[in-house]
Amino acid sequence: YNRYIYAKMKHTHAALYLLKYIKQSVFRRNNSRLMEGILKQQQELLGMDSSKYSVEFMKNGTDKQEHQVLSCQSVVKVLSPDDGRLSIVQAAQQLCRAVELKEKTSKDINVTVLDSLLRESKNIPDPDLVLKFGPVESTLGFLPWHIRLTEIISMPSHVDVSYDDLFGALQRYAMCDQRLGK
Amino acid sequence: MSWIRERELSFIERLTANILKAGPMPKHVAFIMDGNRRFAQKAHVQRQEGHSQGFEKLAETLRLCLNLGIHEVTVYAFSIENFKRSKEEVDGLMELARQKFSRLLTEHENLERHGVCIRVLGDLTLLPIDLQQLIAKAVVATKAHNKCFLNVCFAYTSRHEIANAVKEMAWGVEQGLIKPSDVSEVLLGECLYSSNSPNPDLLIRTSGEVRLSDFLLWQTSYSCLVFQSVLWPEYSFWNLCEAVLQYQLSYRSLQKAGDLHREGQALQQMEADRCCVAELLQHRGNGKPMDAQSRQKELLNYTASREERVHCFLNALQHKRDTAPFLPRRAAASV
Repeated sequence: YNRYIYAKMKHTHAALYLLKYIKQSVFRRNNSRLMEGILKQQQELLGMDSSKYSVEFMKNGTDKQEHQVLSCQSVVKVLSPDDGRLSIVQAAQQLCRAVELKEKTSKDINVTVLDSLLRESKNIPDPDLVLKFGPVESTLGFLPWHIRLTEIISMPSHVDVSYDDLFGALQRYAMCDQRLGK
Repeated sequence: MSWIRERELSFIERLTANILKAGPMPKHVAFIMDGNRRFAQKAHVQRQEGHSQGFEKLAETLRLCLNLGIHEVTVYAFSIENFKRSKEEVDGLMELARQKFSRLLTEHENLERHGVCIRVLGDLTLLPIDLQQLIAKAVVATKAHNKCFLNVCFAYTSRHEIANAVKEMAWGVEQGLIKPSDVSEVLLGECLYSSNSPNPDLLIRTSGEVRLSDFLLWQTSYSCLVFQSVLWPEYSFWNLCEAVLQYQLSYRSLQKAGDLHREGQALQQMEADRCCVAELLQHRGNGKPMDAQSRQKELLNYTASREERVHCFLNALQHKRDTAPFLPRRAAASV
């Protein structure tokens, strides 16, 4: 199965948003084990600093913070396939209900309106970079709305990924030249 | 030059094609035809020439796809973001489009022979009026053809397409044709510009860039993505085969993922219908609990009526779209 780790590098800070995306079947079965695993890794890798990093589980629906954030420099959000198209559908239903109640008209609906609604329910910034692990060449439904300008870099496997592998991918990312249509 | 090049495969190309065709073949391929300008720089020609050669390559690639049994092709010709380019370049691209769509109207016989149906997807109101009229004529001229399909995304971004689909569903609610609870993943898909096509099996982007650039974001969620470093005007039969091979290697996993997703969709729809029925019964209810058989009957009735509503809505939407091309108009001020 594939795991996707999405990293966003801010130019001025070394803060990392890591969005970890696990395929549905694995996610549903090993939810608590996954959480244990992440926390264990956090402690092993980050040692003394591990309390600075919070881990959020995002299940389609509420954006509940499960752990107290002491000092937020890095955020790990774990997503599932339901956070993709389904979120867009839910936003669409919300807008349609508003139209039914005559609070809005269909002419009011555009990219900006839909985008702000999506950000309201799930505060996920557009990933700058998708690191895709595994041989399957597809996004498999990952955040279709958010990845319009995301660089997609493939890595052969998530097993035994080294710091060098990750750094190499970030270097490739740094060389990408986004013309943004121009 | 023509929209579909005459291009016979050489012996070795035919051999390769036959070998590939022994495996699963994509039915619908999407292309992000990137690299025209870099090609122009490399070849020391004007940008406009790069774009022109890009169009030639499109015509040739369409033929190659037909040779491989790929009967539907979608291409990203002009993004809404491309309006940000210099006036000179944008005007040049609009002029190229005028030439090509005019040309299309004169080679009716050729297109009929190949049975090519051309569709143009995007917010066409953003284009010059005369180009809108040309496109409308071209689309009508090839509408009845059904052997192969070329979808040209022009003045297009995926986010606009998705927002437009939501807008159409909201229009449906305004017209009293559907209820907000009828909104689903499947229905949204039917409201996209691309609703007459199945989702692409394979998406190819040339020139080495590894992003989707706001192209078919919804439709390619379970497609095979292939990024190739070749510049579009230099795209060859071998590049196409390489991409198809990649598709074949990912085929099983993608089929499984797609099937799983469709199962999930069906379950979600059933669950949504159940909730609606429960709500209805509560409103209608007289306090007495309903037995399982009656509940099941109510559920089936509800599902049937929802499907009927959706069917009428989609017909109304299709009618709206069929009459729209005859009304070229200026874009609204908002973005």
